[in-house]
Amino acid sequence: MIRLIPRTQFGFWATAFPLILALSITVVVGFLVMVAMSEQPLSDTWTLLTFPWQARTASVQWGFVLQKSSYLAIMAVGLSIGYRANVWNIGAEGQFAFGSILAFGAYVLFGMPDTVWFLPVMLLFGVLGGVAWALIPAALRVWANTNELLTSLMLVYVAANVLNYVTTGPWKGDPKAGQAESDPIHESLRIASIIERTDFHWGVIISAGAILVLACVVLFTTFGYSLRVAQNTPRAQKFAGFSPQMTVWMSFVLSGATAGLAGAIFLSAETGKLIQSENYLNGLGFTAIVIAFLGRLHPIGIVAAALLISYVNVGATYVQSASQVDDSVAELVQVTALFAVLGTAFLSRYRVVFGRPDLSTEGAA
Amino acid sequence: MTSLLSLERITKAYPGVLANDAVDFAVERGEIHALLGENGAGKSTLMKVLSGLTKPDSGQIVWKGDEIAITSPQASKALGIGMVHQHFALFDGMSVGENIALGLGSQLDATQRDRIIEMSEKYGLPLDPDALVFTLSAGEKQRIEIVRALLGEPELLILDEPTSVLTPQEADALFATLRLLKEEGRGLVFISHKLNEVRALCERATILRGGKVVATCVPAGKTAEEIAEMMIGTRPVPAAKGAQNLGETTLSVRDLVTSDISIPHLAVRQGEIVGVAGVAGNGQEALYAYLAGEELAPSASAVRLNGVDAGRFGPSERRALGAAFVPEERLGHAAVPDFSLIDNTLLSNLGTDGFQKRGLINWRVVREHAVEVCDGYDVRHAGVTGRAGSLSGGNLQKFIVGRELIKHPEVLIVNQPTWGVDMGSATNIRDQLKALAESGSAVLVISQDLDELFDLADTLCVLNHGHLSESRETREWTAETLGVAMTGNAQGQAAA
Repeated sequence: MIRLIPRTQFGFWATAFPLILALSITVVVGFLVMVAMSEQPLSDTWTLLTFPWQARTASVQWGFVLQKSSYLAIMAVGLSIGYRANVWNIGAEGQFAFGSILAFGAYVLFGMPDTVWFLPVMLLFGVLGGVAWALIPAALRVWANTNELLTSLMLVYVAANVLNYVTTGPWKGDPKAGQAESDPIHESLRIASIIERTDFHWGVIISAGAILVLACVVLFTTFGYSLRVAQNTPRAQKFAGFSPQMTVWMSFVLSGATAGLAGAIFLSAETGKLIQSENYLNGLGFTAIVIAFLGRLHPIGIVAAALLISYVNVGATYVQSASQVDDSVAELVQVTALFAVLGTAFLSRYRVVFGRPDLSTEGAA
Repeated sequence: MTSLLSLERITKAYPGVLANDAVDFAVERGEIHALLGENGAGKSTLMKVLSGLTKPDSGQIVWKGDEIAITSPQASKALGIGMVHQHFALFDGMSVGENIALGLGSQLDATQRDRIIEMSEKYGLPLDPDALVFTLSAGEKQRIEIVRALLGEPELLILDEPTSVLTPQEADALFATLRLLKEEGRGLVFISHKLNEVRALCERATILRGGKVVATCVPAGKTAEEIAEMMIGTRPVPAAKGAQNLGETTLSVRDLVTSDISIPHLAVRQGEIVGVAGVAGNGQEALYAYLAGEELAPSASAVRLNGVDAGRFGPSERRALGAAFVPEERLGHAAVPDFSLIDNTLLSNLGTDGFQKRGLINWRVVREHAVEVCDGYDVRHAGVTGRAGSLSGGNLQKFIVGRELIKHPEVLIVNQPTWGVDMGSATNIRDQLKALAESGSAVLVISQDLDELFDLADTLCVLNHGHLSESRETREWTAETLGVAMTGNAQGQAAA
């Protein structure tokens, strides 16, 4: 018989044990998935785990991992702020798109300046675009008591269609291109790589800086504290003197800002132009939700989860090209990890005790 | 003749605590037997044994001369043991009859309805089977619970703190019912903290302390002080009320009228403790919320703090004016259960000097402050990093009150300062409140416990149907006049 006893103290093990267990489950299930999908599971698993060293240049592979994880981490940290306070913005994908659109819009508006000094302005407009798009569900929640899960999600599809509109309408570029796209921005506004011929660019550093600032806000300020109070007990929030409305506004502003920043960086660093939504939006905003929960809503956990999942993702792409194992293996690992982390989370609050069934455990008088 | 029920040497251990230590307890037919003890003395564990919720580690249960084992709540009910719990288990949206039928696991049909009416008339428990539960008073809800228990034809009826939510008049009616049940030859176990009730009602009393039986006595033959001494081990020091040097009015409410409350006038002066009496659910929560700033008053001048119109201020701004607040609900309002004591210390100290440095929380200072609160106010805990939810009710309340008292607030507003708290902690908390007032602070105590108010308050007023009565000096009130003010509805309707 298995019993659960609430923990009274939260030490290092209360946090570490469930994570180690979740990681072990993910590794075991991930290997079983590989056995099912691959003809030589052992060598393919080895390739997946060590792909940067198997590839011709390790730095290129690491560049992919860092670049991808930076987008996921910055958006996930932003989302986690609201999630800590039970404010559910699941529309980061839309705020990402709107960040890109407004960044490009600023470029057009200011007469397509050809100087690197305009880059900060573009990024700023990206942030503003994300915030503006996020403020819609926030306002609906505060003023009309609308469920923000629904509104923020639906606005993703609205933003995708706005993107389709601008790339086929006002900002339509080369009509001979195989897809609807805008003209490219000037080369001077493209974020440069730090290491030549890799995707490790200055946008990764900008994201890291933003994550650091947000982590400090969440962990060390009264605002971060108010989020933790709000998550646990709304009435205690009022007792302390925090405004529940302000929590909603701030959650959306910060998560919108991070998604918008990611969108602007993406525009500048990866594509250099707006493209129709099917080919521009690749689900980073949705994966970020998974990353936020994989990281248990903690900034450090989120960065670790983003790196881990990006590593597996890039690795799966590599394995696919090397030995015909479908890269959907990465998604399966990601989902397994999510289930394992959520399924073991209760262990940080309860101790498992094996022993004789005993009716009396609930209430020591 | 054998006893109806006799428990012999019942022992039950939980990790780290011996909840029952060789407890002997017997109930005769036709007897009301009081079970007394502080919170944590082992009463609940003993009742869980009787209701089949837990099995004792050792000891015997003898029912009408036969040794038996009670393996489940169903088995307990089948034997003829009925329970009336302190907290009602009723569905608000359903009718009285439906609730009763649900509890008995049957449908509400004509015979069921007749039995309910018959039972309620026979025992003086007037009930309308078709009334919806949410429209009823606490006393009426309790009648549902009692009728539900009686329909199971129990030979032994256990009542856990049945009078804690009743007005004096409702309690008197309950006692009449209980005496009737006794005369029919049933055995009754009466659990209460109110010693005067026990002395008036019960033939015998068994007193538990620290899991052991310390005495069995005839309560009418003892004074309340003697019984209290047996319960808590040391004689509670009677409060010496010093001559009052009342200063200026630092908290005042004037013409605060909203949809849920109506307060023409209320004033608390420096050095004064003002008590607000009233039966639960008569606007205490709203009064607290408007005073603490959790709800904003319609106009700024409705609430004045230290000479400033504060009606439109939130809790933080009111704290900055020297006010401090202790809400009724310990877990989930005054404290976050999953937070450590350190985290919880910050909850009401966001504006306190030194707790923040350049926008960042100074956790070292918060931690030191948490330790000071625990040391200074006798909070027994396993470490300030431990969860607040793991503290006992009494210790958590001492922490929550201490967290405010350590700031030495000029105005303190307390809702139910000792609700569900053991007697030792309650005495401690009341002494602290008196000391605060004596040092010149204004204290407002909202409470349902009249004994507490008579002990603490210099001035008393009554909240009834959201309407606050005029204040009068405490010695001008009696339990009877208060009871009438708490249940009368002339003013209440004017307020509504």
